[in-house]
Amino acid sequence: MKYIFLLVSTVMLSACYEDAAVTIHEPGVYKGKVDIHALTAQEREVVLAKRFKQVQTDR
Amino acid sequence: MARMKFLCDAERCIECNACVTACKNEHEVPWGVNRRRVVTLDDGVPGEKSISVACMHCSDAPCQAVCPVDCFYTTEDGVVLHDKDMCIGCGYCFYACPFGAPQYPQQGAFGSRGKMDKCTFCAGGPEPDNSAEELEKYGRNRLAEGKLPLCAEMCSTKALLAGDGDVVSDLFRNRVVRREGRPEVWGWNTAYKD
Repeated sequence: MKYIFLLVSTVMLSACYEDAAVTIHEPGVYKGKVDIHALTAQEREVVLAKRFKQVQTDR
Repeated sequence: MARMKFLCDAERCIECNACVTACKNEHEVPWGVNRRRVVTLDDGVPGEKSISVACMHCSDAPCQAVCPVDCFYTTEDGVVLHDKDMCIGCGYCFYACPFGAPQYPQQGAFGSRGKMDKCTFCAGGPEPDNSAEELEKYGRNRLAEGKLPLCAEMCSTKALLAGDGDVVSDLFRNRVVRREGRPEVWGWNTAYKD
C-alpha cells in the first residue's frame, strides 16, 4: 500500500512540471507565432490585383 | 510589393451597413464586437456624409507602438495583425488607435475584458492558413484564398475599396476626375503617412 501511495504521489507531482523555457520580452520585437503563407508576397500581389480588377472596378 | 489599404468614398457610401453585417457574418465576430462601423457626419443635415470605418492597417501603426507585450506584427502586404495568445487585453491599443478599431469581448463571470479583436483585412492571424484555430480566433483568411476583404467586395455602390494602395488610388483618382470633385480620402493622412 505504501509503495502504491509513493508511486501515485510521484506520478501526480511530476504532472506539476512547468516548462522553464521563458520567452524574454524585448521592446518593439514581435516574438509570437510566425505567420506562414503558401504564396510569396509577389505572387499574392499578382493574384490580389487580378481579383481587385474582377470584383471592385466601377460599374 | 503590395501595400494593402482601405479607402471609403464618402460620395458613394449610402449608409446601408452591409459591410458591417458581412464582416460580422463572415468572421463570426463575437457578440458586442463590431470590426467595422458606418459613421455618419452631420446626420440629418443636408449634405451628410457616411464613412465605413475599421482598422486602417496604418503604415506606422500606433497600436503596435504602444503594445506592452508586442503582440502586433505587419505582414509583407502591409496588413497589421496580432497574436491573440500574447494579447493581455490591457486596452492600450484602443486608446492609441485614431480610428477606435480595437474591440474587446467580455469574458468570465464578471465580464472582464478579453483578448483584443479587430479587422484583419480578412487575412486571419499567425495560425496556419484556414485552420480551425485561425477561424475561431481571427475569422476567415480570404487573402490566402486569393480574395480581398468581403466588406469591400460586396459593397453595392463600390464606396468601400480594399486592395493594393496604388491600384485603389488609381481607381479613386479616375472617379474624382470623372465627377470633377475634390479628392477626399478620409483617414489616409492619419493612417498612411509614408
